[in-house]
Amino acid sequence: MLLLEQLPVNYAPVAFQFFVAVGFVVVTMLATHLIGPKRKTSDKLTPFESGVEVQGNARHPMSVKYFLVAILFVLFDVEVIFMYPWAVNFRELGILGMLEMFTFMIFLLLGFIYIIKKGALNWE
Amino acid sequence: MSSIIIIAITAIVVLYLGLYKVKSALLPVSVLGLLGAAASLVCVWDKNISYFNDMLVFNNYAIAFSILLIATTILIFLLSGNYFEKISSNVAEYYTILLFALSGGVVMVSFQNMSMLFIGIEILSVSMYIMAGIKKTDSASNEAALKYFLMGSFATGILLFGIALIYGATGSFNLVQIAGKASEQPLLFYAGVIFMLIAMTFKVGVAPFHFWTPDVYQGAPTLVSSFMSTVVKTAGFAAFLRLFGSAFTSVPAIWTVTLVVMVVLTLLIGNITAAFQQNVKRMLAYSSISHAGYMLIAILLLGQASPNAILIYSVAYSIASVASFGVMVAVKEQKGSDDLSAFNGLGRTNPVLAFVMTVALCSLGGIPLTAGFFGKFYIFGVAIAANYTWLIAIAVLMAAVGIYYYFKVIIAMYLRESENSESIQLSLAYKFVLIFCIMITILLGIAPALITNIL
Amino acid sequence: MTLSILIFLPIAFMILVALLPSSLNHTFKYITLAVSIVQLIIAGFMYTHFNHSLPGVFNEQTFQFVEKHSWINLNLGTLGKLQIQYFLGVDGISIGLLILSAFVMAIAALASWEIKTNEKGYFCLFLLLNAAIMGVFSALDFFLFYIFYELMLLPLYFLIGIWGGARREYASIKFFLYTLLGSVFMLLVIIGLYFSVKDPVTGAHTFDMLSMMNPANYVQGSVFDIHSSTLLFGVSPRLLAFAVLFIAFAIKVPIVPLHTWLPDAHVEAPTPISIILAGVLLKIGGYGIIRICMGIFPDGAIYFSWVIGLIGVVSIIYGAMSALAASDLKRLIAYSSVSHMGFVLLGIASLTVEGISGAMFQMISHGVLSSMLFFLVGVIYNRVHDRDIANFRGLYSQMPTYSVFVFIAFFASLGLPGFSAFIAEAFSLIGAFNSNSIPRWMAVVGAVGILLGAAYFLWTLQRMFFGKTRFKGGEEWQSQLSDVNTREIIALSPMAVVALVLGIMPFLFFDMSNSAMVELVNSTLKSGSLHLETLSKLLN
Repeated sequence: MLLLEQLPVNYAPVAFQFFVAVGFVVVTMLATHLIGPKRKTSDKLTPFESGVEVQGNARHPMSVKYFLVAILFVLFDVEVIFMYPWAVNFRELGILGMLEMFTFMIFLLLGFIYIIKKGALNWE
Repeated sequence: MSSIIIIAITAIVVLYLGLYKVKSALLPVSVLGLLGAAASLVCVWDKNISYFNDMLVFNNYAIAFSILLIATTILIFLLSGNYFEKISSNVAEYYTILLFALSGGVVMVSFQNMSMLFIGIEILSVSMYIMAGIKKTDSASNEAALKYFLMGSFATGILLFGIALIYGATGSFNLVQIAGKASEQPLLFYAGVIFMLIAMTFKVGVAPFHFWTPDVYQGAPTLVSSFMSTVVKTAGFAAFLRLFGSAFTSVPAIWTVTLVVMVVLTLLIGNITAAFQQNVKRMLAYSSISHAGYMLIAILLLGQASPNAILIYSVAYSIASVASFGVMVAVKEQKGSDDLSAFNGLGRTNPVLAFVMTVALCSLGGIPLTAGFFGKFYIFGVAIAANYTWLIAIAVLMAAVGIYYYFKVIIAMYLRESENSESIQLSLAYKFVLIFCIMITILLGIAPALITNIL
Repeated sequence: MTLSILIFLPIAFMILVALLPSSLNHTFKYITLAVSIVQLIIAGFMYTHFNHSLPGVFNEQTFQFVEKHSWINLNLGTLGKLQIQYFLGVDGISIGLLILSAFVMAIAALASWEIKTNEKGYFCLFLLLNAAIMGVFSALDFFLFYIFYELMLLPLYFLIGIWGGARREYASIKFFLYTLLGSVFMLLVIIGLYFSVKDPVTGAHTFDMLSMMNPANYVQGSVFDIHSSTLLFGVSPRLLAFAVLFIAFAIKVPIVPLHTWLPDAHVEAPTPISIILAGVLLKIGGYGIIRICMGIFPDGAIYFSWVIGLIGVVSIIYGAMSALAASDLKRLIAYSSVSHMGFVLLGIASLTVEGISGAMFQMISHGVLSSMLFFLVGVIYNRVHDRDIANFRGLYSQMPTYSVFVFIAFFASLGLPGFSAFIAEAFSLIGAFNSNSIPRWMAVVGAVGILLGAAYFLWTLQRMFFGKTRFKGGEEWQSQLSDVNTREIIALSPMAVVALVLGIMPFLFFDMSNSAMVELVNSTLKSGSLHLETLSKLLN
């Protein structure tokens, strides 16, 4: 209730920050565009990478191995976060909580075994 | 609760069976697991058990819809035969993901707490994103998955925002407590209700949030589309009704107007667009949008009769959809296409398939003596009693349009000549599912009282 | 049980036909014919056991061969219980049409000899259609009526669509959509009526037509309650409901301008289906208007009588004019049906005993005569696959026996005294003359329609049957156009005899229907004007 009554005042800083953020972007973009010197040559329009000329097409298949491993890491990393609240409340949750956590770990482990068996971690 | 556990464990068992290359056991184990889950639900009928501080409540509503979801999944699994093997080598994953999706669906129909609703929807949706794009080399399938994922996650965000607003207004996730505190913070609460309305209508594919539906249905493998249009939709509507029927009843004015506009839009867009389709799969996709419109009428009229109306409609619609998608899979396998012309002359070459399709389409169109008729009849009856005459006049007109496009398929099957006269060979399980669906459709058309009085 | 047997006998044999192997193709037509003959015998039994003094119409006690069982019970929660009954019975309105249906179905079965492809499917659908037709005429529960009404649609759609002529697809879907559009809106009225009416005995909402006819059964303040002042789209719901129901049935009759499905359907349909369409289906429209529209909404019948009369007159004249212009013999007969059915509407609009009896009699008479006409067209079409009037000349010397039947049918149809159509049209016109509800000029214009009828029939006779024998197909046709065979004579003779017998002894029918007609007209006039009075009071 309190929040609603003071609505306009309370949100003023947010609005202020919003305008500053937008204003910063607009101002810097406009300023660089207007102030900066411009010399347009055809070389400037070609794709450019570290001073080396481009060879071949940029869109060809590449290995996603690293991506896959990274995703799996994030997955298991996030799952492990569940351990923290359990550890904090270990005493209160008692034996039932432990069993539930074990079940959770078993599921996680089953997933891990599945991934290994499927060969997702084989680098070669 | 035990049913969710059984389904999840079945999913993991199936996954490992696939890992150890026991392909022949995949289907029997899945079906057995599902039957076990259904049996465990039947055992707790009328018991009203709640779990985890009322996070899940298995009342009769939840049980009836869960059984419907499980039964539909079993039928789709039986249809799959060697369908999945043809599109991919990872067959076990299909079963697993669909089973996980189903467990999400069961959570969705039995939630009593908004966080469980969110978890249920996510389990279901994420599985469906994967299933939509499972044909990795097919660009249509990829497009479907990407569209579905992007728009779906957007809707999830809106849902979460709605839940947050409602939590902010009432200080609770529990549906019953929310209903009690609805009037404390009207502004936040109403905003939350509208956000949740948008998210739920997106998930069930109601206009104007329907744009993903046709592309996704067409791009996904046909059996997955049938899963989406039956299990996913039923779960979505059951959750929708459970949410609005128990938590938001006290504020109907704020969302009924929005909902009426949505119903009319959905009926018009779904039916009229479907009438112009030349591809049967796409036509069924649009028709599924229109069916969402009819079911939405029952939600609009929140009352004692609404759960029954949704249940009857879902049963009729799910069963007829499974049968029609099943016929479509068989036709596509032989002719290589699911255009209207692929159905030409089916009545002569495959009388059984054509008959099944005819009954299924009649049920979808709402012709008497099929289950679909009573689905529509019940909803129209409830709406007329609530004095929504003009809305029902539109709905009835659109039902007539619906019959027109369903009959386009029937015309193709019986009145057109086909180029090749080979009949399609079907496996025993396939025939069983199709005949079973038709029997149920006709049985419920003659004696609807079998399921109407259970809720 | 009699009515149930009449309805479910064809269904039982349909299952039998469906189960028999296709190698027994040639027996299916005999099975179908046998079913129809048994039905005809049952109908004859009903005719002899029918008590002429019981009026029926509004009172369940005076209905005969009544069967009443509970069928569907749905719990609608706060909206009460939904009760649907399996409720059959006949009275003076339906008995004649029921007997006619059995008769026409037997003739159509005889005409089905021409079907040569996919006999199994054909006869299954034929038997299903048969059951649905019997059901429509005997159902007294509105829901049951609706189910039979819709059930009739599907087999007909397929029968025209699969076994029809060149443009069958177009004709069948047109027929289907026209009828369907009417019937879906009828469903709305049914649901509305259901919520307005309570069964006086059980207190539950009901679909019982007879309960719907009694104003005392309406729930106070419900949509169709006479005393309720609610308006739908600016008009009284009762009048709106009458109009919706009337249009739904009038599409079947058919009326101008909703008749365009009929010529197409007739031209494309195979002969037996044309016979059923003209002989029975059009009558369902008239039956529905008399039994349901007038019975449940007498106020609407009075309020709209002028419009109905006008539609009737327009149909009579327009149908006759179109028949004059038709070049296809079957199309000519189809348009003559539109014209003849106009008399039914005229008779109904008159709201007199003579007029409505005439309308009923016209339905019976037209049922027999149009079946005969379509059968006759089928005879030459089967032989040379052509039916353009211009392509035949001097048929009399080529096919004398056939021509005699054509003469009988044509003269009977154009209203020659001594044949049934004369009595029917005369009664309709007398009713229209004596009526208080429609102006006299309508009767006069209707009489002009008879003249036009004579014109097109006689002109056709002159063009096709007289003069020097000359056919478009020349020698080849001459050898193909053999005279009617025994089967055809067996089918044609009873129709000619019935037309003649009914023309000479119309009391055979009138005795049966009279008490019902008197009851219907009296109570329609009485309660209808009462309702209208209440209504105008409420609106002012």
